Amino acid sequence: MLKHSSLTLALTASMALGAAAVQAADLVIAGRDGIYGKALEESVARYQAAHPDMDIELLKLPYGSLYEKLVISMRENAGAYDLVMIDDTWATEFMSNGWLANLEEQSGITGDFITAALDISRYPVGQGPAYSLPVVGNVAMFTYNKSLFKEFGLTRPDNWEAVKTAAKTISAKNNGTTGVVFRGQKGNPIVTGFLPLFWAHGGVIVDDGGKAHVNSDQGVQALESFLELKQYAPRGVEVYNSTEVRDAIQQRKAAMAIEVWPSWVPSMDDPDQSKVVREMEVIAAPGQVKGSSPMLGIWQMGVATDAKHDKAAREFLEFLTSAENQKQLAIDLGLPPTRRSVYTDADVVAKYRWYPNQLDALEHGKPRPRIERWNEVESILGDYLQLAMIGELDARTALDQANRKIDRALKR
Amino acid sequence: MLFRSRLQLISLMLPATLLLAVLTLYPISQILINAFSYVDYAGAERQFVGLDNFAELIDDWFFIGAVENTLVFSVMASFVQVGLGLLLAVLFDREFPVKRFALPIVIYPMMLSTLVCSAIWRAWYHYDFGFLNNALVSLGLSPVEWLFDPSLALFSVMLVDVWQWTPMSFLIILAGLQSVPADIKDAALTDGASGWRRFRYITLPLVMPQILLALLLRSIDTFKLFDKVYALTGGGPGNSTSTLSLFIYKQGFKFFNLGLASAGALMMLLIACLLSAVYAWRYVGAKS
Repeated sequence: MLKHSSLTLALTASMALGAAAVQAADLVIAGRDGIYGKALEESVARYQAAHPDMDIELLKLPYGSLYEKLVISMRENAGAYDLVMIDDTWATEFMSNGWLANLEEQSGITGDFITAALDISRYPVGQGPAYSLPVVGNVAMFTYNKSLFKEFGLTRPDNWEAVKTAAKTISAKNNGTTGVVFRGQKGNPIVTGFLPLFWAHGGVIVDDGGKAHVNSDQGVQALESFLELKQYAPRGVEVYNSTEVRDAIQQRKAAMAIEVWPSWVPSMDDPDQSKVVREMEVIAAPGQVKGSSPMLGIWQMGVATDAKHDKAAREFLEFLTSAENQKQLAIDLGLPPTRRSVYTDADVVAKYRWYPNQLDALEHGKPRPRIERWNEVESILGDYLQLAMIGELDARTALDQANRKIDRALKR
Repeated sequence: MLFRSRLQLISLMLPATLLLAVLTLYPISQILINAFSYVDYAGAERQFVGLDNFAELIDDWFFIGAVENTLVFSVMASFVQVGLGLLLAVLFDREFPVKRFALPIVIYPMMLSTLVCSAIWRAWYHYDFGFLNNALVSLGLSPVEWLFDPSLALFSVMLVDVWQWTPMSFLIILAGLQSVPADIKDAALTDGASGWRRFRYITLPLVMPQILLALLLRSIDTFKLFDKVYALTGGGPGNSTSTLSLFIYKQGFKFFNLGLASAGALMMLLIACLLSAVYAWRYVGAKS
């Protein structure tokens, strides 16, 4: 009996101590896993070297899980996290609900952040105070195989008509290389693949009055172009996600990719993984009736309004986004910076030849609509884009139906 | 007598009963309330909307598609798994030379995590580089669009589930077969019954409770299908592999539409209860 009681007491004590250890951290950070998690881990280690007494708790979470945990914690005012990492599409929801602290309350934002990236940290966008800082300068780029283009007498595609022509020419040779590849999986992947075309054709997802507008003539034209490109894509592109797109490019199964992200690019130049070393040119997405409209995919970090360690969170954020730390993260991990000076740094450019183009894409980058229900809108659009992609609906019907459903979601 | 008084029995059971009641009743009551409300989770607002959530779901082509896919998947996958499990169990009920080595191999897929299974099969299903299409091409056949042909994708997901979970039905039925008294089989043999007749009229009725139990357990599990679809197709192409669980997950945790998600969950519970009742009724009948 005594033995059992002692065991119970020991278990209870260890659980309580465990909980106390979590509570006792001087700073709790909720971030992403993968390369972003590594970057945070490296930054925490560097910061702790300068602040040896500081206990920092870092949580590295997958995309969906991070969103769920943050929303639940902030909605319940649980104060579980001090510093939080958010996708830029969540920013409107987090900022409008007052879940993030105003970072300019005490002092202005200093430094040379890329304007387009910093604008979406502000609420209202581009005008109000900053509630977060951009920490990962992700932007969707376009890539084409310059060796193949030279072989076929093609020039750099500056618009989507040129992309179609090049894709058709390359596919017609039937030498095992298709013209183009993109992410066709329903939901976020297909929408991300489609948006650069949609915007370049003049499409608008939500108009200034907050009403859905995806089924405009421009939108339909963009979707028709997208569907035309499918003819020159590998079979099964409807379920392609990032792994398949990377494989297709690296194994020379496709000559162009509508969408590549900065973190994918280094592997294209890695001879152990790629058959196209230094053959791929990475540029900003082509334009059409509008100029180039690369899609921004900025990861931001903000201080939670209910943070228990507000000061520590602000100080760490300043360190994390400093030019020195960003340069180190870029060199060590290839994490895309958000400061102009890092993109033009000689050491960084020597390692990443496409960085000047990436800076250009970031400067002209376009954020996804600043609406609270973007997750749902993206999912609806993704569902209907894929129905069009697999031939169950034509472009006009797909976008008409998507528009109706998006409108209903926006009215909720 | 184990307990000295009724009071002692109640006082010992009360904490666990209360805890269970709170943990079960609270979420269920919330789902019931939310199903008839519009819930703005972020703004902490709730507004009674009657049957609007149910009407919206019934009007939603994607929800109806998800219900159809779930029912087709659940019924077909369960019957195939139990059928194959029965065949394997009959085989393993006999003695054969490599039985000791074959048994672990047969039950191995069940021990893998579903995400690992899905990753393996996603690689095998790859149109250009996958093992299955390479095998077909090497045999002079055409490659198959396993995951991106809308009419085939659900069956491709089903194949993965059959591969992973047939061993469970097999083990349940094998346990039943091994509990059939040998003297009944011997008596039938002495009476001159052929192998098929012995199986049809003696073995099969005796293992029917185990077959129905396997069907019930597999139906419950396949009805909740989520992880394989999430990892293999994301519900696509189109809506061809979307399931109720995936639909509810998206509404609840991606969009925080708690009203719609709760209404969907309630409808799912209702369908699951109906399905389970049919099996349970048959199971009790078979046992008696």
